[in-house]
Amino acid sequence: MKRYAYLVPVLFVIAFGGCRKEYEAPLPYTFTNSPGSGRFSPAVRQAIEGIYVVSDGSTQFGNEVALKWSYLLEGTDSTHYLSVFTGLDAAYFNLEGSSQTDSLVMNGYWRKLVNADIGLAHLVVQAKHNGRLQAFTGNLPVGDTLVIKGLYGSGKAAPTRPLTLQYIRPLNRKPFNIMAHRSGGRTSDLLPASENSVAIVKLASRLGATGVEMDVRYTKDGVPVLYHDNTLNLRLIQKSGLTGSLESYTYKQLSAFVRLINGEKIPTLEEALEAVVYNTGLKFVWLDTKYIGPMDPIQAIQQKYLQKAKQAGRDLNIVIGLPTTDALDSYKALKNKENTPILCELDTAITRSVGAGIWAPRWTLGPQTDEVLAMKAQGRTVYVWTLDEPTFIEEFINQNQFDGILSNYSPVVAFYHYTEQ
Amino acid sequence: MNVRLHITNWLLVLLLLSLSVSAQQIRRTRRIVPDSIDTKRSTRRGPYTIVATAGSGLSYYSTHVLIPDALEQSHLSRFGVPASFRLMWHPDHRLRVGLESGWVPMYSYRGQITGEPARVNISVIPVLVVFSMPLAWLSGTERSIARRLALTVGSGYYLNQSRLRYDGSVVGSKNSLGWMAASSYTQPIGRRFRVAGELKWYDAVSAENAAFTAEVQLVWRAFSW
Repeated sequence: MKRYAYLVPVLFVIAFGGCRKEYEAPLPYTFTNSPGSGRFSPAVRQAIEGIYVVSDGSTQFGNEVALKWSYLLEGTDSTHYLSVFTGLDAAYFNLEGSSQTDSLVMNGYWRKLVNADIGLAHLVVQAKHNGRLQAFTGNLPVGDTLVIKGLYGSGKAAPTRPLTLQYIRPLNRKPFNIMAHRSGGRTSDLLPASENSVAIVKLASRLGATGVEMDVRYTKDGVPVLYHDNTLNLRLIQKSGLTGSLESYTYKQLSAFVRLINGEKIPTLEEALEAVVYNTGLKFVWLDTKYIGPMDPIQAIQQKYLQKAKQAGRDLNIVIGLPTTDALDSYKALKNKENTPILCELDTAITRSVGAGIWAPRWTLGPQTDEVLAMKAQGRTVYVWTLDEPTFIEEFINQNQFDGILSNYSPVVAFYHYTEQ
Repeated sequence: MNVRLHITNWLLVLLLLSLSVSAQQIRRTRRIVPDSIDTKRSTRRGPYTIVATAGSGLSYYSTHVLIPDALEQSHLSRFGVPASFRLMWHPDHRLRVGLESGWVPMYSYRGQITGEPARVNISVIPVLVVFSMPLAWLSGTERSIARRLALTVGSGYYLNQSRLRYDGSVVGSKNSLGWMAASSYTQPIGRRFRVAGELKWYDAVSAENAAFTAEVQLVWRAFSW
């Protein structure tokens, strides 16, 4: 009996002490989001993009990083952001140019997705000429090299640790689709925007994505909205008391009572696609079918936004995913299947039989080299999902078979894709 | 976190059940001692009693609440009238085991959204394995205060329910793990009946619902052998 006397307090400590840890990564930097690019002209931006070797800071961010620009559109205004994708701990930087100085200064933050590490970053772009650093004006004579020097910190503390990046080669430009899961990233990864929100759609490019996967469900009154889980739960929404399936609530009820973790409304599919077409440079949208029911309303919205993208001069493809036989049946029940791009997650025979242009097997089935080559030989595109493990991401990219990867860690996919030689 | 909570809850339940079994084994060991060696010790087991308890009182929601910004002229109520039912086995040793269920209102809020009335009610139905222990056993009689005071803990599932009345009516539910802790005082009022007062904490952990309740209970010693 006495041995239990030692067990009881241990169990109580585990039960009531061990589960109390707060896990959060508050953003230490507020972006000015000033439209225009200031001193970061198109020529300067183009010169900055590339692969850099890390000297100071390599223990924190790895030996190599990839720098890539992205932008947000608001009407005719565009705002440019520089992302740094690293090969360590799914770390990335989000930076914006500063208009306060005469030199090419960038401010922002860095974050590691594998934990809650985050901090401020302050970097300056310079040119190395005859071994000496000087201001970079946009022209880089042969023999000169770009060097980005600055400081990074921890949390909201002023940056103090040195970071030095030196340009070594351009980005890998081979066509490849980097698709971000849940419209850009998971809420559980403590991103500054909630998964499946309009805000995360706008953030997706800065996380390395060239496309997004959206989870589509119907409300009780038939409005297509974005939401991943079967039920309203505190993993995805702020506490309002409401529980049960999303499908049991009308859009009016959800709109009034439910907010995603970071305060956003649950968006309609139309609101999310509106953001894709008019605010981002994303090139691909994968509508994941989370509902059981008619596909006609989704098809109508897909066609509406494909048309809008075309009118806006956007190179955008929007496809309806068929992950299950139920979704397949809904697709087969459509009266008119013309102009309805689809992506099939089922086997190759079904993919061929429905004439899907894209086949997307799950990554756990392995490289499936023969099947992938056969599908590509028939002119189909092949994506793999949902791949988050860096070792496998690197392996799948190096094998050069797949046309894209769907991942929760788009910065990791971006790093391995852009650094591939 | 949920996995760890599951494991800990079930370890606690197993631990308390094994304590209960251990107590039985100690009694059995004593029984095999020949009467000739220890004639003063009683070898008769029992009495065993099945005790049913029903109670009600006042509950107070004791954790954070977020009322949606869209709600105008909002009013929050943290108070409610809970009801609980418990069936316990009182063996011939100190640790008692049983089941508890009931209905506990957690909180409600109401207001208007663009002139239209809206109301949300949150409640839980606990289904718990409970263990109870009087503060004294070997010493004193039932008249002693210590024997009338008891500590009770429980663990199990909570069915969390929400009812929304706005643009129609929606009832939603969600299961969650949770626990309960209580202390009570029981006053005998007859051979089979007692009246008890119990202060209790219900915590449906993963749904982040927790309430403090104060109940008056009627205790019925239904069967004894």
